[in-house]
Amino acid sequence: MTSSPHKKNTPAQKSALSEKEKIKQQEFQEEAVEHINALYNYALHLSMNPDDAHDLVQETYLKAYKFFDSFEKGTNCKAWLFKILKNNYINKFRKNAREPGKVDYDLIKDFYHSIKDTQSDSEDLNAGYFRSLMHDEVYQALNSLPEEFKEVIQLCDIEGFTYEEIANMVESPIGTVRSRLYRGRKLLRSKLNEFAKKYGYNTDNEETP
Amino acid sequence: MSAAVDGELTPKEREGFEKHIVKCPSCLSEFKEAQKTKSLIREKIVRFKAPQSLVNSVLKLTDSLF
Ligand SMILES: [Zn+2]
Repeated sequence: MTSSPHKKNTPAQKSALSEKEKIKQQEFQEEAVEHINALYNYALHLSMNPDDAHDLVQETYLKAYKFFDSFEKGTNCKAWLFKILKNNYINKFRKNAREPGKVDYDLIKDFYHSIKDTQSDSEDLNAGYFRSLMHDEVYQALNSLPEEFKEVIQLCDIEGFTYEEIANMVESPIGTVRSRLYRGRKLLRSKLNEFAKKYGYNTDNEETP
Repeated sequence: MSAAVDGELTPKEREGFEKHIVKCPSCLSEFKEAQKTKSLIREKIVRFKAPQSLVNSVLKLTDSLF
């Protein structure tokens, strides 16, 4: 009875958590993992690099689980995770003066081409010649926008967050979010027009009155 | 305008906006253009799946924490 081979991590330590806490943790774990694809995409958009995106997502989950107590059930879990990821990104890259966002278009293009076939193009999009624009062209146009515009468009149009959630994430008033979306979309449209002309797509419907 | 496209107007604002765009062709066309841009983004920006290795490591990580 003297030697206890498994002194470390006895089950007794783990059961220090109450039943209630365990349930909360499990619920949170289940809900959080649902958002992994969205988080990965967001990380990829921010860092432009699959390895960095991988690390960002992993660190986000680590932080999220550490602080899961501060997460209020019933609030938007996805928005909360995005906020953690964003903060993490800022700390990691901006403060360390490490250069993120070196846009690797070849890499992005490879991604797109490898999955393009699986995309459905049958959606009814009343967008005229814009339909002809390819995924990577739209992506490049979006990426050419200043960060503050790109970010809100991403969060709103791609991730479907509300203005309030976005305002919280980017730490700006709702009015700012609104005007960035407005200006960002305007800028995006002119970029898309440029692309459409450059690649020789039919832009007739834009010129007829 | 953005708020109209994103469905973020209050019912009252929406009513005002709808009344306005039937009388104002330039706002109407701007509204339509903004809608198009939004749907284009939604349709054309491809979403990636998180690599399975990442999913696994997150699952493992979270299991070990609890
Ligand atoms: Zn008007």
